[in-house]
Amino acid sequence: MALSRDEIMEKVREALVDALGVDEDEVIPTARIGPDLGAESIDYLDIVFRLEKAFNIKIPRGDLFPDNILTSEEFVQNKKLTEKGLAELKVRMPYADLSKFEQNPNVDDIADLFTVNMIVGYVEAKLASAAA
Amino acid sequence: MRFYLVDRILELQPPKRIVAVKSLSLAEEYLADHFPAYPVLPGVMMLEALVQAAAWLVRVQTDFEKSLVLLREAQNVRYGNFVRPGGQLVMEVEAIEIGPDASRFKAVGQCDGQQAVQAKLTLEHFNIGDEDPLRANLDAGLRTLLRERFRLVGGPQALAARVPS
Repeated sequence: MALSRDEIMEKVREALVDALGVDEDEVIPTARIGPDLGAESIDYLDIVFRLEKAFNIKIPRGDLFPDNILTSEEFVQNKKLTEKGLAELKVRMPYADLSKFEQNPNVDDIADLFTVNMIVGYVEAKLASAAA
Repeated sequence: MRFYLVDRILELQPPKRIVAVKSLSLAEEYLADHFPAYPVLPGVMMLEALVQAAAWLVRVQTDFEKSLVLLREAQNVRYGNFVRPGGQLVMEVEAIEIGPDASRFKAVGQCDGQQAVQAKLTLEHFNIGDEDPLRANLDAGLRTLLRERFRLVGGPQALAARVPS
């Protein structure tokens, strides 16, 4: 059962509408889960749970939203990501566009990376590797 | 740990408005996990703080008539800047309507002049005795505790300082 990107987007949209109480038309590909759709920490957990159910996949803790970045001073100093932190982020989020964030890696701005597109990309990759 | 999230009432204009603060201390236990290298006030705690500020307005306006004032619905909850330890969440809550059993508010929380949280809140109010007559005695006890708490957070002073409308 191979899903098209559009079909994946539709199911992701449904999960976000249910988790965040936003309208369907707010869930556009470039929308950021936090700043645009109003998600905060506890919502990220809810989103992961709903995606697991919707796509019948397992999303290990920190795989979609890498919270381990915020666990150590190796990764975060003075409210910015360190070199190590950036490197770790790149490893954890290979499908995210980090070019803008890299220039000024404020922890406050990490939420800008979590877009609807990013989630769709993650699910696509997960489904492809499960099928392989 | 008890989640008393209103440290002080700064302004109190029943039935319309309350301004209260929550100061964030590095010593708050939940910060240890949220997050270890980057402690910030969780969004849900910000929301609860707004609810508790609104609840004080209800209690003052209804003279502590109902011992339980709880969140029924939160809408259009938006988060902005983080609140870090040492920071203060200043909450401004405007009442849309306060009835005997329910009330509605527009609430905003700011830290250092930047918006941290906003929400539309619906609260419901009732006495335990309304639901369970065998436990009606609890309401009087709760009322006493809450009046005491109101003193601790500077409620009477805020009331006394209120601008006549």
